[in-house]
Amino acid sequence: MSGLENKEMKIVGFLCNWCSYGGADTAGVSRFKQPTDLRIIRVPCSGRVNPLFVVKALLNGADGVLVSGCHPRDCHYSDGNFYARRRLEMLKRLLPFLGIDHRRFHYTWVSASEGARWQQVVKDFTEVIHKLGPLNLTREA
Amino acid sequence: MSVDKLKDAVKQILNEVDIVIGYTEGFDKVHATPLFINTQDKVDQLIWDQRCVHNLASYLPSLKRKKVGVIVKGCDSRTIVQYIQEGLINRENVKIIGLPCSGVISLKKLLKAVDFANIDDITFEDNGNVNVKTEKETKTLSLMDIAPDKCKTCQYPTPLIYDILIGDPIKSDKPKESVYEDIIEFDKKSLEEKLAYWQKVFDRCIRCYACRNACPMCVCQDSCIAESREPHWISQRATLTEKFMFHLIHTVHLAGRCVECGECERACPMGIPVNTLKRKINLEMKELFDYVPGVNPDDKPPMYTFNVDELKIKEHKIG
Amino acid sequence: MTELGFLKKENLVEFLKELATKSVVYVPVADDDVVAFKLFQENSTICLDRPANIPPKTVIFPQYETLLTFTFSKKEEQPDKIDVKIQEKMDFKDTVIFAARPCDAKGFTVYDRVYKDSDIPDPYYVGRREKTVIIGFSCPNVSPGCFCTAVGSTPSDKEGSDILMTEVSGGFVLEPVTEKGKAVIQSKFIEDGSKYLEEAQKKQEDVKNKVKNPFKKAGKPQISQEKFNDDSFWELALSKCLSCGACTFLCPTCYCFNITDENKIWEAERLRSWDACMFPHFTLEASGHNPRPTKFHRFKNRVGHKFLYYPEKYNGVLACCGCGRCIRYCPVSVDISKVVDELSDTNSENKTLTSNGGEA
Repeated sequence: MSGLENKEMKIVGFLCNWCSYGGADTAGVSRFKQPTDLRIIRVPCSGRVNPLFVVKALLNGADGVLVSGCHPRDCHYSDGNFYARRRLEMLKRLLPFLGIDHRRFHYTWVSASEGARWQQVVKDFTEVIHKLGPLNLTREA
Repeated sequence: MSVDKLKDAVKQILNEVDIVIGYTEGFDKVHATPLFINTQDKVDQLIWDQRCVHNLASYLPSLKRKKVGVIVKGCDSRTIVQYIQEGLINRENVKIIGLPCSGVISLKKLLKAVDFANIDDITFEDNGNVNVKTEKETKTLSLMDIAPDKCKTCQYPTPLIYDILIGDPIKSDKPKESVYEDIIEFDKKSLEEKLAYWQKVFDRCIRCYACRNACPMCVCQDSCIAESREPHWISQRATLTEKFMFHLIHTVHLAGRCVECGECERACPMGIPVNTLKRKINLEMKELFDYVPGVNPDDKPPMYTFNVDELKIKEHKIG
Repeated sequence: MTELGFLKKENLVEFLKELATKSVVYVPVADDDVVAFKLFQENSTICLDRPANIPPKTVIFPQYETLLTFTFSKKEEQPDKIDVKIQEKMDFKDTVIFAARPCDAKGFTVYDRVYKDSDIPDPYYVGRREKTVIIGFSCPNVSPGCFCTAVGSTPSDKEGSDILMTEVSGGFVLEPVTEKGKAVIQSKFIEDGSKYLEEAQKKQEDVKNKVKNPFKKAGKPQISQEKFNDDSFWELALSKCLSCGACTFLCPTCYCFNITDENKIWEAERLRSWDACMFPHFTLEASGHNPRPTKFHRFKNRVGHKFLYYPEKYNGVLACCGCGRCIRYCPVSVDISKVVDELSDTNSENKTLTSNGGEA
């Protein structure tokens, strides 16, 4: 599987409890094989994801960050992901200005039933991060 | 505009408010400094010219419980509009004296223009010429050459909100497209170049927090997460990582709120272009939500709201 | 000491290169018009014509330093037990600060009384201080806000420098002040400088006469206790203060610090970093109470420390060398010299009031 042959990269995933975390679980229960570079952090809602979580992760050693929540209109808290969408879009557009490839950050929507979709997202994102290689933003060891 | 008209207006509103914030002479000929007027006899210390660079509206949230009169330029007035949008001041407690402005000086640019010599005197002519006298020479400069970047593309020379306007309104003669030209130009550089630039300038940061404290929209003040230990966003290490993080905290917290007064970079003792990142976000806010901060009191900051169907936000493909 | 040396301008870089073979050399470097002390490199754009934005205190009293590191470890057979290894970080190198302004050099003497010559010397400060040679640079001109002559110094003050360097036509006169300094000018690039003495002295005198004295009363400022304790004065005088740390962080005599443990999972560091009395957290207590709740309380402490408490403890020496940075770089031009002048006791000619209110 792509991403596994080379050295493992550090990818941080912020997943909403109600959809994407369930989706990842579904993928696991269904034995869908995925690369292991992703470290998942469960959050109550994608609306809980402060864009600074992403920045902090990238500055402190993550090579890529993935945020995933419920599909728009499906938020457990009715509108958390609508706020998330605006914030994360803002960040996505800011990163290249800082000199960070926008591909290192991806936000998407995966429901609890979409195990196969989750597998695809992880596979594709890991592949992209492997292609981009390690990130060292601050010239520090 | 003669400063006497301003003094008369201040004298008058001083009967209705506790304090009026204006400008007075600073420690040398090129510096003005904020003046807090609480008695009639202080009114005569008021000055008004191109040295009046500070955004005095910044003091309003901390004086929320008082009745305050404040002198604002066009750019500063956007701060008040944004405060109203965010419910940070009581409008009825504020008396706004608006002054149309055709540009101020940037101390950093002025000093550079005279090779960092000690300036003995400075005078301003109506035609935009600035006469500077230093130990070595007397020089005539054009105001626009030593004005902060915000003045060169100023769209709001006349305050957008005021109770009293002193002087005739001025219409902007600067093209709208020019406002973000520098941002668009910078963005054309390669990722490596851009990253190297930010690494270089942020490395200079000494974390004195002058940019944050001078920022009118940084209203958390004593509770800033940059200094909190719990949660522990940044450590006391003065490394590039921590400095970078601090500036991004400032930037992201100002997303769609920055009124581009430029106080952050004016305040920076280490010459860091702190305002640039915030202006990049503003450019995106304009593009995404057709939103310009600090222009219409009835607007809602874009990060405070949403549309179920976002017209301009498309789902991204991976990679 | 009279063994004057002379360094030709064209030999400056060679001389620094020679120094850099033996020591770590810091020079004032201009980058985007911002001057700061950085490691010397052959292509460094050395800037001598104006004082650095930030004084070289960073070299001896860095913004942050690791005092010690902890490493935690666990053994498989005893998983409930965690071992901690503590290691001190005390590795100081021979260092030269080149072209510190006399006010910057004098700033270190303010630190010395607290960190070096006290009952409990600070080993980290002393370690760096003793390994550092300071080459002072007599100011070639004055900058906005300078007031060194009003606080008992001059733009060519030797106090704190190991060598005092003065620019004359064609080069620099180097006057050794200490034995440490004498050793540094034993170099093939240093010629005899005695014939330039007169020119150097004249230059020093010229610049000295240009420094403005912001105080109405002659002599070192003496603060009236009564005015100092009047909070209404502070409230109005400091309404404009933003309570940022620019003044303290740029001050060559501000030495307050904070100690924090910065943890990772299996390792941690105990750091010492600059702190500033202008920050609300400086005095914030664990209960949530803050004895200096507003910005004017904080600024009052800054003035008090420099012009009242420190002099009281150290034979009347002021903890201010008049470099003017806090005035020059204050975003709202708060002028400490003006505040001190307004606080000065104009009634009493010879009486000095201590902070207890008693007469000294």
